[in-house]
Formats: sequence, structure tokens, C-alpha cells
Amino acid sequence: MAPMLPTFIRLSGALVLMLTAIAPARPEAPLLKWGMDETGGAPYIYDSRTKGFEIELAAYLAKELGRTSEPITGDWKALPESLDRGDFDIVLNGYEYAVNFREQASVPYYIYRLALSVNKDDNEIHSWDDLRKRKPDGSKRKVIALTGSAAERYMKKVFKDDIDFDTSDDVSNTFDLLANKQIDATVQDNPAAIYYVKKDEARLKQVGEGLMPNFYVILTRVKDKELRAKIDEALRKAIRDGTLEKIYRKYNLWNDDQERLWYWAEQPWPPGADVAIPEAAQERPVDWSEVTRLLGAAALKTLQLAVFSFPFAVLLGMLIGVARMYGPGWVRIPCIIYVEVIRGTPLLLQLFVIYYLLPRISPVFKLDPLYAGIIGLAINYAAYEAEIFRAGLQAIPRGQMEAALALGMTPMTAVRRVIVPQAFRIVIPPITNDFIALFKDTSICSAILITELTRQYNVLYNNHREFIIVFAIMTAALYLMMSYPLSLLARLIERRLRRERSDA
Amino acid sequence: MITVTNLVKERGKARVLDNVSLTLPKGEVAAVVGPSGGGKSTLLRCINALETFQAGSVQVDDLQLEAEGPTKPSEQILRQLRQRVGMVFQQFNLFPHMTALGNVMAGPRYALGQSNEQAEQRSRELLVRVGLGDKAHRRPDQLSGGEQQRVAIARALAVNPSAILFDEPTSALDPRMADEVLGVIIDLAKAGQTMMVVTHAMRFARQVAGTMHVMSAGQIVESGPPERVFAEPQHEVTREFLRRTA
Repeated sequence: MAPMLPTFIRLSGALVLMLTAIAPARPEAPLLKWGMDETGGAPYIYDSRTKGFEIELAAYLAKELGRTSEPITGDWKALPESLDRGDFDIVLNGYEYAVNFREQASVPYYIYRLALSVNKDDNEIHSWDDLRKRKPDGSKRKVIALTGSAAERYMKKVFKDDIDFDTSDDVSNTFDLLANKQIDATVQDNPAAIYYVKKDEARLKQVGEGLMPNFYVILTRVKDKELRAKIDEALRKAIRDGTLEKIYRKYNLWNDDQERLWYWAEQPWPPGADVAIPEAAQERPVDWSEVTRLLGAAALKTLQLAVFSFPFAVLLGMLIGVARMYGPGWVRIPCIIYVEVIRGTPLLLQLFVIYYLLPRISPVFKLDPLYAGIIGLAINYAAYEAEIFRAGLQAIPRGQMEAALALGMTPMTAVRRVIVPQAFRIVIPPITNDFIALFKDTSICSAILITELTRQYNVLYNNHREFIIVFAIMTAALYLMMSYPLSLLARLIERRLRRERSDA
Repeated sequence: MITVTNLVKERGKARVLDNVSLTLPKGEVAAVVGPSGGGKSTLLRCINALETFQAGSVQVDDLQLEAEGPTKPSEQILRQLRQRVGMVFQQFNLFPHMTALGNVMAGPRYALGQSNEQAEQRSRELLVRVGLGDKAHRRPDQLSGGEQQRVAIARALAVNPSAILFDEPTSALDPRMADEVLGVIIDLAKAGQTMMVVTHAMRFARQVAGTMHVMSAGQIVESGPPERVFAEPQHEVTREFLRRTA
């Protein structure tokens, strides 16, 4: 399983890719382009693609095929789609074997298991079953697995509501959360667990047996039969002559499970219908009522994020806008800095700071993801609302302030009773407009483990790639069902305000 | 009682007010006339502390406002002074989000801190006094210009100022509406309200004012009872000005 870092770090990978693209092409052998997601991908691919067992495996395969290894970055979840589009020739990045990959999969190159990791200080969880025990305060154990992985499916199926379960795209961050005791356990494929636990032995440990063994396979396009045959041949050779064992030993990944590779290397591939394949690879039918329930719950989360964050954004924005217009210098300057910093940095980054970085400064900042999302959206949108308010306040004629002052009101009272109420009418249309924008920006909260609509969509299509289009339509419909009434409301308010003005 | 002593106001290099002094005794009405750009409005705005000045002083009853020096006048003094001196603007400046009654109540409620009930009764009386008892619940944009200016006068009266300053109260109005407003001001004068009126309406100035000040280029060039100023203007500016407005 390829651990992944958030998009903003992944962007740097895209930059590297662009630079590689403009570099002069090597005149050597044709390329073996393989799709992967390198970011944070230890022990699969790491250290700027210089290390990792899959880097070495790809190099070996390329050599066997008389080609040059050319790793190409993509979003891990979408690698099979990128493969079909023709972005690269194969996918080689911890892809689990599943029946729906039957026509595309190479022979297995690794047999992984699900591994359970906990904090070193944890004296209560010694086995998988211990996850069900409540914490001393009565709450459930918080457990995270990789989004769309076999681990996620297993945990949901076996533990159901006994644990506080969530998923994350980001393996290295998940282990950080565990090391910082923000979560109680994580379930990952054993290569990742072995690597990260060894890397942070002082704070992490593995407990329990590895579960649900399954294969990592290389994916090819269905029609590329010849390429698939060559890859199978090369893999079988590497299994027989010990090349694979050598690579895996180097990364501490060789274990008894891998001896089964010998068996599968001798079997016809793909396995016939009568051959027993791992439970984890078996077909999973779609439960549509469950899909509907999940999307509905996610839509509710989206609504909660938007509805609870926006009033704070407007309130804070109003205070900042007013302070910036009428406050003394020592108030104005921090307000300007706030607006510029928040507007000038991505919401995603701000959410990461709130959710991942602040808790490292002090445990006081350890927030439930939903609260972190609401706070992040409120802080972000407050900067935009502040600018709208400033424009609205500026639009009020100077005579209004003078008339209020001439009556003997304090400047504060004048702003509160005379200026702000008038500015409000001006700013309502742009603010309702921003509410719709915020509504869609809630999708960015998927990066901090909030299962809102976009994230739920990702989870669903990872589990059932064949229905990607159906899920996309359902998700879009849900967004539209919620945002269109908002648009109507915005238009209604605007019309009413206009009528009020022209009533004279 | 308003006393202005040696007031100097500069905007950049230009002297907008050049050593202006005048006295407005209680119960009297003064008209300030003269060519545009002579500093008439600025004088009113300085008296009401809407603008700062560089030298001289303004005294209203027992409150004294000095020129802005190293120390700024306290917000408290400014507020008391503004309460003491009502202001009626050329462009009315009514609060568009409040009804006529709301506008009149704004001062008592938000400046004097009166309760709604306290403020309402007297505000209604004031609206009746300016002839708008039946339009208390109209919004400014539902009133004519003359009506708006009458609401503005009621609004200024509502905080019980000892004097009211009028800054060209009828310049933005057509003649018929102007007459309504002037009628209200004349009634106030008869009732003994202390007032200072910047105006171009000469007939009105003559009718209402006890003293007339002619301003030009930031100075008061001539002062006196209107009859005298009209009959025997002393200064060239006055003669020129009267000829044009006649």
C-alpha cells in the first residue's frame, strides 16, 4: 500500500515531474513507464525515488524487458484510471489483488498482511480484540486505516460500531497521529507498519498477528497481453532465482509469507475459478442501500461544516472589516495582516496547520476533525467576508457618519447603529454568494479526516471502481440539491433588497 | 451662546478660515452669507467639531474647544459639544434604514441613552411641530426632499441643543419645498431658538436673522443687522454679492 502525503506536498512531486519532462530525453532503450505515488511512500518508494523496494523491482523489470525504468507520479487512488488513459504502461505501487483486476493483474510480487500498530505507551491493546475494549473514560478507541484499502474494508466489516473508525490518505501522517497519541491504533499493510514502527521505535509498536493476507500485483491494461506475459515471466524468474528475496531482505520485508510466492509462481495466472484465492481478494457486491446511507450521512457532514462555520466567518469578518475601517492603527495593522495572510495561503494548508501542527505545540489544540474543519473554514472565509464588509462600509456616504456624530453619538455607537446596518444591506448579496462558495469548499476538509461528501465519494469508488460514474453522479446531485436552493435564496434576497431601494 | 475667537483653519497651504471671530448670543439668529468657497460651511463644521482647526477657539455655553495642539481634545468633550450644537446638512443626511420617527429618536436613544418610550413621545411631538405628524413611519426614500429636511430639523432638535447650525438647508430643494423648510426655521426663530444659518436665500436671511455676517476668502468682511447690510453695504465684496443675488 502506498502511503500518501496531502495534495500540497504532492504538488511538489508534479513539479519534479514537469522538470523531468523538459529535461532532454535519454537516447537509450525505450521507457518502461510505471505509475506510482511516491510521496511519503516508504518503504515502497522514497527519498526522491532513490530508495524503496518497488524502485528496485521496477529497475529489475525494466532491465529484463530491455527498457529504461521511468516512474510517473499520479494520485494513488486513481492510478488504474490513469493507466487506462495511457499515462503510463503499468501500475506498480502496492496494489492489492482483487477479482475485478483479474484481467489486468500480474502474478503476485509480494504477500502482505494487515498489521496493527499502537503507541509504545499503550498497555491495554495487546491483540485485535482489545480494540473493542472501551477506554477508561468510556469512549471508543480511535482507529485509522488507509482510505480505500483492504484494511478499511476489513475493519468496517469486523469491528463495525465497536470502534471509532476513520480512514486517511496519508500513512506517514497517520503514524505521526499515533505517535502523538491523537489516535489509539492504525491498521496498515505490514510493509508500511514495519517501516514506520522501526523508524519511530521509541513511540510506536506492533501488536497482534498479521491478518488477511493478500497479494500485491502489477496492473497492466487489459489489452496489453504481451507486456503482461513478459512481466509475469520476469517476476517468476525473480521469485525463483532469489532476486526478489534479496530486495525484500534489504528492506526487512522478507518473512515466511513470501515463501508462498514460490507456489503462486508455479500456478497458472490468473488463477482459475476453482483455485482458492485470499478472502481479501474476493468479489464484494455493492450494497446500494448502504451506499445511499453513507452518502446521506456524508451530505449531512457537508451541511454541518457549511452551516456552522459560516456564521462565525461573517461575524469575525464583520469585526475585522469594521476594525480595519474605523479602528486605531494598532488594531488596523493586525487586521490587514490577518486578511492578507489568510487570503494568500491555501485553505488546505490552513486546515493542516490547525489539525496536524497545532496539537504538537500543545495538547489543548487537539480537536475533533469536525470542529477543526468548522474553525478552519470560519477563519479562512472571515478574511474574505472582512473585505466584503470593508467595501460595504466604504460605500456608505461620509454624511451618515457626520450626521450621527453631530447628534453626539460616540464613533462606536455611530458605526453600530448607523453605518453597519446600512452596510449590511449592501453586503448581503456578495455574502450569500460566498456561502455557496464555502459550501463547495467544505470538500477540502476531506484532507483532515472528515467524511464529508467528496471524501465519501472517494471511499466508495475506491471500493467499487466499476461504479465510479454512478457514484460521481450521485455525489454531484447531492451537492446540487443543497446548493441550488441556496442560489435561489440568494437571488430572492437580492431581489427584495433591490425592490426596497427602488420603492421611493 | 456661541463664541468663536480668532479661528484659523488650513487645508494644505490654503487658509480656509482666516482669523474668524463672532458671537451668537442666546435666543438670536445669525445668517452667514457670501460667495461660494468663502468658508461658510467650514465655519459651521468647526463649531460642531466635525473638523479640526489650527488656531483659535470655539466656546459653546461653558464648553470650550481649543485648536488641535499636541493633545487631542477628548472624545468626551467633542461629544458634549456636538450634543450642544445641532446640525442640519445641505444633503439632509437622514439615516435611510430608519423611519422618520426612528431618525428623530436616534439622538435621544443612541446619544442620550434614553429608553424607547422616553424618546418616542417627544420625537412624535417634534414631527408634529415640523408638520410631519402623519408621516412618522415613512422611510426617507418615501419622503420628498422638503419633508426629509424637516425630519432632519426635528432630528437635530431632539437632543435639546442650545443652538442649531444650518448648512445651506434649502440649496438642494426646489423653491416650493424650500419654502416649507424656511417656514419651519422661521417658526423656530419666533420661538427663540438660537440658530446660525448659512444660506443663499437673501429674503429669508433678512426676515429671520438679527445679525448678518458676510464671509469671503475665509474672513468675515462685514457684520451687522440685515437692514443695514442691505441698505449700506460697507465692503466691496458685499456690494458685489448683493448685486448678484438681488
